[in-house]
Amino acid sequence: MTPWSVYLPTTVVGSYSVPEWLERLKTEYYQRRISAAHLSEIYEVAIKAAVKDQELAGIDIVSDGELRRDNDIDYFLARVPGVHIAERAKSDYYDYYEAEVTAPLPEDDKTSLGLAADFAFTRTLTDRPIKFSFTGPFSLSRRVTDTAYADPADLVRALARRLNAEARLLAGAGATLLQIDEPFLAGYPEQALLAIEAVNIVTDGVPVTWALHVCYGNRYARPSWEGHYDFLFPAVLDARVDQLVLEFARKGLEDLHLIKDNDWPSYLGLGVIDVKSATVESPDLVAARIRRALEFVPPGRLMINPDCGLRHLAPDVARRKLRAMVAGAAIVRGELGLPAVLAEGDTVLAEASRAAE
Amino acid sequence: MQIDVRPVRRLRESAAVRAVFPPVLEALAASAADLAGLRVVGDWIQYKANFRDPVMARPVLAPGLPDGEADSWEIAVDLRRCAAEGADVSGAMAAALAEAAPQAGGRDGAPSPAGDGRVWLEPWVPGSASLAWGFNALFWQALADWEKASGREYEQSLPGGETAARDTAAARDLILGLFKTWDELQARRALPEELYVLELGVGNGGQARTFLDEFLALDRRHGRGYYRRLHYLMGDYSPHVLDRARQAVGQHGERVSGLVLEATRLSGSVGFLAGKAFLVYISNVYDNLPTDEVAAIRGRDYLVQVRSYLPPGAAAAIAERFGMPPADLAPLIQRLLRIGPELLSESLPERFGDTGQAVLFWQAAWQALRQAERYVPLEGLDTYQVTPSVTGEILRPLLTAEGDVRMHVSNGTLASFADTLPLLHPFGRVVCHDLFTTAAGEYHNGFFGPGKYDGSVVNWVNGPLLALLASRRGFDVQFSPFTQRPGTHIKTLTAQVRD
Repeated sequence: MTPWSVYLPTTVVGSYSVPEWLERLKTEYYQRRISAAHLSEIYEVAIKAAVKDQELAGIDIVSDGELRRDNDIDYFLARVPGVHIAERAKSDYYDYYEAEVTAPLPEDDKTSLGLAADFAFTRTLTDRPIKFSFTGPFSLSRRVTDTAYADPADLVRALARRLNAEARLLAGAGATLLQIDEPFLAGYPEQALLAIEAVNIVTDGVPVTWALHVCYGNRYARPSWEGHYDFLFPAVLDARVDQLVLEFARKGLEDLHLIKDNDWPSYLGLGVIDVKSATVESPDLVAARIRRALEFVPPGRLMINPDCGLRHLAPDVARRKLRAMVAGAAIVRGELGLPAVLAEGDTVLAEASRAAE
Repeated sequence: MQIDVRPVRRLRESAAVRAVFPPVLEALAASAADLAGLRVVGDWIQYKANFRDPVMARPVLAPGLPDGEADSWEIAVDLRRCAAEGADVSGAMAAALAEAAPQAGGRDGAPSPAGDGRVWLEPWVPGSASLAWGFNALFWQALADWEKASGREYEQSLPGGETAARDTAAARDLILGLFKTWDELQARRALPEELYVLELGVGNGGQARTFLDEFLALDRRHGRGYYRRLHYLMGDYSPHVLDRARQAVGQHGERVSGLVLEATRLSGSVGFLAGKAFLVYISNVYDNLPTDEVAAIRGRDYLVQVRSYLPPGAAAAIAERFGMPPADLAPLIQRLLRIGPELLSESLPERFGDTGQAVLFWQAAWQALRQAERYVPLEGLDTYQVTPSVTGEILRPLLTAEGDVRMHVSNGTLASFADTLPLLHPFGRVVCHDLFTTAAGEYHNGFFGPGKYDGSVVNWVNGPLLALLASRRGFDVQFSPFTQRPGTHIKTLTAQVRD
């Protein structure tokens, strides 16, 4: 199932530029200087603007910019029943909480994490396909002090079950493209099997297109880890996901061969925009990166995205980078003679299959 | 009226300090100034050479008025000099209060009516843009000339007579820490081939020499061949200092590179190190970088502007000594700062017989240099650019938390530090020895610059602001005593990745 209708569809990884004024207001909230109600209204306005920015840039599959989130971890952990956070005030909104689990997570608590409501709001803002991302169970577990489980892997699995329940609610709200982000996995390459096992728990029985995003970290616009994607293979081949969304622009395209060498069977989300640099890529540079990727992945299985979320980029830089990305993808589409829009009911994978035949 | 005495310990301990206040109060009572809006602040300026008169008047400009009219005044008293035997506190207070009185003028914040004999050297500017920093830059550029005229090396003017860096035990701790990190990365096949260490502000090369000697010895024992992979980069603003340091590390030449660089613009010179440096070592650099000051007064945020001048008596003496009318002083000083003493003497041989004579003029002007100050309202912290990439919003938590307070912005340091952090490898760290405040509250109780050290400017660095910036970029900052020299004000800052 593909919720888009173009070759080389452009999309985002998730987060959008957080302007300095919004950072200030978020911190004001965590210091209890403005109310949750006011902040919620501010978020709605900011999300509308983020979606509009993406539409104007020509992004095919948009996101809500994750603007409601304080960071990639706490927005989720703070809502998971059984996760204890003693101090919820922050001196800066982006800081991590100190979270702990002292007893096994309650399996029968059906409390929603609220993600479906976030998606539903975004759904009212645009007719374009929406990607909705959330942090995966492995990365969430890395920020929890766990005194409940004898085997730390059991916390990962418990979080995965909770996220699976939330994914079902998201699908019920109309989500068609969900993405699991695992920003911590590259720091623990020996845990890839566990992380993939947990991914499969999250995706189990949820009838949407699933993406898995693995990068080298984007906390404070710096990589948290260094290395190569070879640690993902062969474990990731067992992941029941439809897209693998990886970082290439900053790291270079050296690891592209892994996709072909390991016969990755589905889509590759190709990072063509360095989100840790304020230098705006030219459309030609984007096109060059796509052309290089096409040596390893057929056009019917390639999606175009930034390396990671855009949250640390200034708004104007983010907008210009997205426009460059869209223009670069268009250049390559033109060169390959690919149709801009597929026929109704057709899918890129199906087209690619026919081409292969 | 508000009276703010910052050195409270000295107030308790010194009768001479307490004796300053009766004449201060008498002068206030006798003044025509609007006392209701007046603030009196008492500092203890520990630097014997500094930029202030014992008593000075500072206008606090009104927000939103195009003519910048002062709506209140601050009288700043240096308790150290005013408590000295023979100090004329009453006279100094009367002169300062005359400026603050409406009939004395000063509508634009100019601290004196025309014709008081001061020789003004610049317009009102933020502290970091002041001509004092031109003197400071010249000191490092023409250090050899200054030292020749002074007959001593600049390190001898530092407290204790040397930089804080040279200590074998400290170097050994740093190196063993690096080895531990590298061993762990090596085990994960994640250790890069080239291992970078950057030193900013190299002094006479003693630190580099100590570090490299220890490194070589420890590496031989460790047996991993890290010395062979080491790249030790020495960076300094002064070519003269760098040359001297290069000589000191002669036997490690293959492992060492020297770079003349501007500490506040590292990305333009060592940007290639991004994500690669395992250690950035900085000693006695940050206290010598340009800074503004900001203040919160009665709930409003202000930028401190300064204006350099030569006091009447000193200006007359310098003019007489070098055979020129006082009116020539300002253009001649500006010329000196542009072209340096050597070219100045070459271009004006009739006035300066040789470079040494021009250096004497430079030293006399520097010694006499004073700065007037005024408070200019900031219309939104976001409109104030602390560095090219950091707005005044970074100051908000400190200004909000501290009530009425005046503090350094440490602009140059912040720019340098912000440029340094991206150089670090994910397992790298910054180690910095310098003069730091470590809590914003310290600004309520102390004076932290500016002062003069020999030919350079010194300010304590706003440590909490650095910690805040680091925190916003994912780094933890720790301050610890500089254990290698008991009793020193120098502290060690360590920054490394958080989370």
